[in-house]
Amino acid sequence: MANTTTLEAEKKLTWGGGKSPFTVSYGKLMMWIFLLSDAFSFSSLLVTYGFIRFTFPASGANEIVKPLSHTAENFVEAMREAHLFSPEHWPLPELVFNHFPFLHGLHLPLFFVSLMTFVLIFSSVTMVLAVEAGHRNAKKEVAFYMLLTIFGGIAFLSCQAWEWTQFITEGASLHGNPFGPTAFAALFFIVTGFHGFHVLSGVVLNFIIYVNVLDGTYERRGHYEMVEKVGLYWHFVDLVWVFVFTFFYLI
Amino acid sequence: MEHTEHLEHTESPADIKKQIWRTFWILSFLTVIDIVLYFALLSYHSMWKNTLFILLGVVKAFYIVAVFMHMKFERKALAGIIILPFMLVLILIWLVLIEGGYTFDLR
Repeated sequence: MANTTTLEAEKKLTWGGGKSPFTVSYGKLMMWIFLLSDAFSFSSLLVTYGFIRFTFPASGANEIVKPLSHTAENFVEAMREAHLFSPEHWPLPELVFNHFPFLHGLHLPLFFVSLMTFVLIFSSVTMVLAVEAGHRNAKKEVAFYMLLTIFGGIAFLSCQAWEWTQFITEGASLHGNPFGPTAFAALFFIVTGFHGFHVLSGVVLNFIIYVNVLDGTYERRGHYEMVEKVGLYWHFVDLVWVFVFTFFYLI
Repeated sequence: MEHTEHLEHTESPADIKKQIWRTFWILSFLTVIDIVLYFALLSYHSMWKNTLFILLGVVKAFYIVAVFMHMKFERKALAGIIILPFMLVLILIWLVLIEGGYTFDLR
């Protein structure tokens, strides 16, 4: 009997008003709500991609271009002549995204985006290590891991800039696409651009927090909750990339 | 009831670090699985293949949200207000798949 009354009292305390039933601060709760709304934006973009992708037949390749084989200068032309790239078919991702910096002329399908994925996963790990250091009020460690996270973000953005440049020099734009349907290139730029913009905002936010950490703002405040809040945002960016990677490069 | 104010888990910093690195290896492993499966199933086109890749994405998402974003240690009420509304996206996907089927037939 004593147990039930304690439970009831606890329930009343939790939902009885006067304090957050979620036991998180206002700022963190609002960050979660913002991320929910942002998740809806990304979902609508990715569902649009899925819809348009679904309405096109996939181009059926009879022969697989071997990874690490040498590609001809006119690779895109050859693929078009073989009808692997045509406006009627959705192109195979491994034939489109097959470049790697400094390894020109080699067929390296999906190697570069895999590298980008690992960069982002790793920067997520350094971010969560910064949060963990924040719980122990270890200022130097927080600053160190924040700096690593910022570097990770910049590395990812640089990779994306390189991939965009590669894609654009091959003739892709919002209204033209040598690989297949125009929608393929347009959606690629819109979705990876929207995600890249989030990464850029994340890097800027992380930088502001990093400066504050060095400045001792959170040390004086007594807690590093701001690091947790930007951490939530940063992990969300990583989370979205998981699905951008799945939809654009694997499906 | 002071203990209901904060739901801090009582693990030591070393344990938390261990868990973070374990999650990192799980995520990396799943990404490698993704790429291996992509090449293994290159000439196989089916809705099941796409479903498999999306499911692998969902598993990765679960680990990021649960461990990195700390959702595992928050109250169930918080998880509910974030995850339940997001399930509405499933309705959008369902509608769009029907619509996409018709558009495909018209092409």
